[in-house]
Amino acid sequence: MAEKLVPVVCPYCGVGCRFYIKTVDGYPVGIEYATDIPGISNENGKLCPKGNAAVEYLLAKDRLKKPLKAKEQGKFVEISWSEAIKEVAERLKAYAKDDPNQLMFFGSARTFNEPNYLIQKLARMLGTNNVDHCARLCHAPTVTGLKQVFGAGAMTNTYKDIEEANVIFIIGHNYAETHPVGFRYVLKAKERGAKVIVADPRFTRTAWHADIFLQHYPGSDVALINGLIHVIIKEKLYDPKFVRERCVGFDEVVKAVEKFTPEFVEKVTGVPAELIVEAARTFATAGKGVITWAMGLTQHTHGTENVKLLGTLAAICGYQGKEGAGCSPMRGQNNVQGACDMAALPNVFPGYQAVTSEEKRKFFEEFWGVELSGEVGLTTVEAAYAVDEGKVKAYYVMGENPVISEANANHVMHVLEKLEFMVVQDIVPTPTMEFADIVLPAAAMLENEGSLTNTERRVQWSFQAAKPPGEARPDWWIISEIGKAVGFDKDGSKGFIYNDAADVLREINACTPQYRGITPERLKANLAGIHWPCPSPDHPGTRVLYKERFLTPDGKAHLAAVPEYKGPVELPDEEYPFLLTTYRYVGMYHTLTMTARSDALNKRWPEPLAEIHPDDAAKLGIKTGDWIKIETRRGVYPIKVKVTRTIKKGVVGVPWHWAANVLTNDALDPVAKIPETKACACRVAKISEEEAKKLMEKLPSIVPRIEVVKG
Amino acid sequence: MARKTIFIDFSKCIECRACEVACEREHNGKSFINVFEWQEMAAMALNCRHCETAPCVEVCPTNALYRDKDGAVILAPQRCIGCLMCGIVCPFGIPELDLINKVMGKCDLCAQRRAEGKEPACAATCPTDALIFGDFDEIQRKRREKFTERAIEVAKKAEKISLLGV
Ligand code: SF4
Ligand code: SF4
Ligand code: SF4
Repeated sequence: MAEKLVPVVCPYCGVGCRFYIKTVDGYPVGIEYATDIPGISNENGKLCPKGNAAVEYLLAKDRLKKPLKAKEQGKFVEISWSEAIKEVAERLKAYAKDDPNQLMFFGSARTFNEPNYLIQKLARMLGTNNVDHCARLCHAPTVTGLKQVFGAGAMTNTYKDIEEANVIFIIGHNYAETHPVGFRYVLKAKERGAKVIVADPRFTRTAWHADIFLQHYPGSDVALINGLIHVIIKEKLYDPKFVRERCVGFDEVVKAVEKFTPEFVEKVTGVPAELIVEAARTFATAGKGVITWAMGLTQHTHGTENVKLLGTLAAICGYQGKEGAGCSPMRGQNNVQGACDMAALPNVFPGYQAVTSEEKRKFFEEFWGVELSGEVGLTTVEAAYAVDEGKVKAYYVMGENPVISEANANHVMHVLEKLEFMVVQDIVPTPTMEFADIVLPAAAMLENEGSLTNTERRVQWSFQAAKPPGEARPDWWIISEIGKAVGFDKDGSKGFIYNDAADVLREINACTPQYRGITPERLKANLAGIHWPCPSPDHPGTRVLYKERFLTPDGKAHLAAVPEYKGPVELPDEEYPFLLTTYRYVGMYHTLTMTARSDALNKRWPEPLAEIHPDDAAKLGIKTGDWIKIETRRGVYPIKVKVTRTIKKGVVGVPWHWAANVLTNDALDPVAKIPETKACACRVAKISEEEAKKLMEKLPSIVPRIEVVKG
Repeated sequence: MARKTIFIDFSKCIECRACEVACEREHNGKSFINVFEWQEMAAMALNCRHCETAPCVEVCPTNALYRDKDGAVILAPQRCIGCLMCGIVCPFGIPELDLINKVMGKCDLCAQRRAEGKEPACAATCPTDALIFGDFDEIQRKRREKFTERAIEVAKKAEKISLLGV
């Protein structure tokens, strides 16, 4: 028996923890904590429950093992790889010949940098910039918002800086449950005496650790943050030197926040005025502060404004460009940052180089050896509406599950049904796959190797720990085969001929300035990875951004003035009297494709529960354990109730993993194009268990109705 | 040899249940640590305390419960007759009856891992250090140190303020 320990990166969240997979003769049997790798993001090898259960989903019985072709919806026959590749390539080519913008590609934040680089390269070489991925649904406002204020959209610091901060402001983010190992650094700061401020409509596990807790209504963030800035300016608690030397636009901010007095903000957000004042003072006078946020803040029609205001708040306090300070958007999946860096986005080439820039486009035309489109492509939600209009006809979906992850899921399903052609590449059957024409079985991340970029810009190499089942193949291999079959078979960067993932990374090094020095050789030798930007092979990587200047054209932070208070587009009314918000469970992950295939996790988090305040529950005549149906203008959702004082009165909270997106609103933020998943109006009624079961049949099924039939 | 055990800091537990999943993985699908929630929010992980004068060891009629060289209270299943005495006397209700084999089961402080020089799984994984594997005296000493550190810090601040004449 040959026992081996293979160093991998966790297949789940954006903390990007490392651990070892224990294998016996190449078969994964367990895990071991990485206590011997200094400097990784999970100090002392700590892991949350998902990391601990990581081997289980690899061994799931329903792993996809052969390419499939649909006979009718949901019914497939097995085909060979060569047939599958030929068919996909021919269909893609035909659409591209006609009009490349009929195609839409989805990259994936759950797979390595290399396949994400390749899928956008394929899309762009075919002539379209229609490529996007689920970062659109989580942190698009972070990218657009921070870019406007600081010049780039990534976390400006690292975990080490969270640990060293004196105050940590956590907003729209249940840090303890979404990124348990990242939360470690918050608690370590707190132990040193740092203050923790939490703003959330729910009293979460994170709020439990707060020194100051601001329980605001979902979607009232603009008012809350403006209120904090108002107090800081009024009481002259900001950093005048930093504002003078490194920021522009301060006077406009002063004007814009004028009306956001603590009293006004109290009315809009439901947070007592004294608490707003106390939070503002605590934050501004700490000397070193970090702001962290996630989807509770971004998934709004004013998501970009929220983020811009947070950037402004950090900047006026001087919390940028130094250690122990900064802005830390927390990414959900282990490679959201990487998929964005690799440009699985409709508006940029790798390294955030705008497709509309003549000069950048010239570079890539030369580099890839084809003519490229300079027209910004479609985002995920826009693509769905373009299908409705008959403009987009084919989807290539790599490792994504839009039926569960996109807002207004009923519309998404309607759209997928309407598509002429859809390829889904994944590791297990997903509800999205029910609509596919071709299914390509992919190797899971842990059965495969490559680089990933965690939420703090740390690029790490993950090694292959197990053999993929059946004929499942690595994502980079699948896309490169399709690329060659389409006809891009030239050598070097002009084609799709690669021997391994390292080959692809070398090409990324050559065209992505931030990754220039992050070579496969360096990553394999240094398991703790490298923080980008890393402009050359001898550069150590960058911990804190913007030490001297920001990345805006003039090098200054562009403070944002948002004088108008905007709440959610859909507010409670007589017909729909409650405000609905969504959240997640610590042991469940996104669309459940992986975690629902782990016994250990499934038995601990078996079902969703809707949180309702006792006063509301009394009015509705419901108690814990009852079935209810939640209804919005877009859908109906049956769920069991948990009556709890931890949620704000008037708000109903549901975990989104089990297809709750049939309810949510797909109204878009005009800049970031993110749908307003976090707040919409709803009504609630008690129902019987039978009725609940009946309603459930109409939901997208977590265990999909996919059948493989004979020839 | 100093006696080591797992210390639990309730104030830090985030109810992530990583400890349960880790223990379950190390012990063939059975977790010997349980995380409880009460009052809607407070959470607390509880496993065997490996008590100094362990009532379970004292009452076991067959000597199925014994102490290993690190001081952990261990159950030898081949000697256990499933009489449930240990479960009844344990103030925390830790020993549990394995319904299939009709013998008791309990936390063994991860004997296998300790033999390899590793920490018990639950403490190794706990993201917030709510669980710490350590020596009682040492942990107490650290807590005293931390307390003095804070006291000194406060004293220094007070001094500064009086120097400024505020
Ligand atoms: S915190 Fe995130 S990266 Fe770390 S083990 Fe948990 S899911 Fe994996
Ligand atoms: S691992 Fe730690 S924080 Fe998580 S439930 Fe167990 S004791 Fe609590
Ligand atoms: S010490 Fe080991 S056996 Fe005991 S509860 Fe922790 S993981 Fe389980």
